[in-house]
Amino acid sequence: MKSVQFSVASRREGDAAIIYPKGYLNNLSGENLVIECGIYIGKGITKIVVNFSETDLINSIGISMLLQIIEDLRNIKGTICCTNMSKLLRDTFEMLGLMQHMLVFPVESDALTYLKTGKL
Amino acid sequence: MSTELKKALYNISALADLGQAITSENNFHEKIQSVLYVITGTFLANKGALLFYDKPTNKLNTLAQKGFAPADLDRLNPEELMSLGRNESYLIGDDPVLTVAGAEILAPLWVRDEFIGALLLSGKLTVGPYTLEDLELLNVIANQIAIALNNHSLFLDLSDKLEENRRLYEEMRHIYHGTLQAFAAAIDAKDAYTKNHSHRVAKYSAAIARELGWNEHEIEGMYVAGYLHDVGKLAISNTLLNKVTPFTPEEREEIRKHSTLSHSITAKIKFPWKNVEDMVWHHHERLDGRGYPEALAQESLSDGVRILSLADSFDAMTSQRPYREKMDVQSAIGELRKNLESQFDHKVMLVFCKVLDKEIKGELPEPDILPHLDRDSDLSVISTLLEGIIVELSTP
Ligand SMILES: [Fe+2]
Ligand SMILES: [Fe+2]
Repeated sequence: MKSVQFSVASRREGDAAIIYPKGYLNNLSGENLVIECGIYIGKGITKIVVNFSETDLINSIGISMLLQIIEDLRNIKGTICCTNMSKLLRDTFEMLGLMQHMLVFPVESDALTYLKTGKL
Repeated sequence: MSTELKKALYNISALADLGQAITSENNFHEKIQSVLYVITGTFLANKGALLFYDKPTNKLNTLAQKGFAPADLDRLNPEELMSLGRNESYLIGDDPVLTVAGAEILAPLWVRDEFIGALLLSGKLTVGPYTLEDLELLNVIANQIAIALNNHSLFLDLSDKLEENRRLYEEMRHIYHGTLQAFAAAIDAKDAYTKNHSHRVAKYSAAIARELGWNEHEIEGMYVAGYLHDVGKLAISNTLLNKVTPFTPEEREEIRKHSTLSHSITAKIKFPWKNVEDMVWHHHERLDGRGYPEALAQESLSDGVRILSLADSFDAMTSQRPYREKMDVQSAIGELRKNLESQFDHKVMLVFCKVLDKEIKGELPEPDILPHLDRDSDLSVISTLLEGIIVELSTP
């Protein structure tokens, strides 16, 4: 299996930040995801949407990164929303019991609507 | 797929991740950092630490950690840790001495008689305490990390990176094989009649690959593919696998799904070998394009696939199945011979005959095929048959 170089992009919408991981979340470069979220958290953002449309592979290292983000947001009573997840990703999160610690939406716009209005 | 199976796969993948982290080209610090992430990710722990014992100062140094307060880690006494079981993970509970660091699980790391350090975990995210399986998996991981760290300290003395990597790789192979064997046993246990089938197919395939002149790394990959080729059968019902009466067309379809399932399972594991998932996927393809699941044409069949296909069929024919008696070795070889070009590869068959003949003649110190053949076989008859086929297939 070949590795795809991992990168992160992000943008801000209202009081939320949307993070776009790209590539396999399976090595140290996944730390960039935690760093990127940390930057927004440092600016006082408490709502983070992670759009997984360009990440369909995650391993234990990636899970560890995600745990860090969940923990960081929990410490500031923030919210993490995950969107555009592949079935493999959803299955993995479900099996590991991570779903209870995040809000999952099919697409990014659903998450943003929820964060804005408090309803689906 | 059941949750347990998914979890087992996740754990196996985690072991593969660990191997990847340890044997990667990264520098030591990055390796250790990756190892820590693999562990915290596997055990869903918010806190994790890897401590290394420095003998001259009798202190524990933190190699990598997340979530712990450094001062708490400093309060751990190495002597206390040494008195615990070796590479046996330990639920701290309310142990007055060990709670100082705020860890829930602790694994003292040992290599033989050498205390290497400790692994600490805490803060499991998901509900429920750490289970017995968690502890067992951690024991395996602790062993590996102990070896890697020990090799690192040896490495500091020897300062010979290549040698270190080679040794690490050797150690990693053991864990892979241990895990794969456990997995293969689970596959073979589903079906009383295929007991040890995966193990034998792995051995036969590797023997053929070696005779073909593949390098050790490639042979290893072949071996692993042999072990896992039928892993997809885990997802197929026991009743169907053990059925005595002939299969209906629908049942045949169902059974045939196993190679695609084997592919989807192995494709999720990041192996250090190339093409394992391709080999398991196509082990029931045929040279005449009438195999399954993709009915590939022969140009698309790699040597690995051809080897696996022959080894698998040979073992299937020489093993008893619920619906038929087993064939004797000569008949099975005759059957392979008869289906050359339509099903089996000429070159692979020639090499298989050569290696088996060498084993019978005692020319190979560690035979891979011979020990598994029917004890009542007449070896001189088989050898004569093989010699004939070798001559025939060697002449252009
Ligand atoms: Fe098969
Ligand atoms: Fe098989």
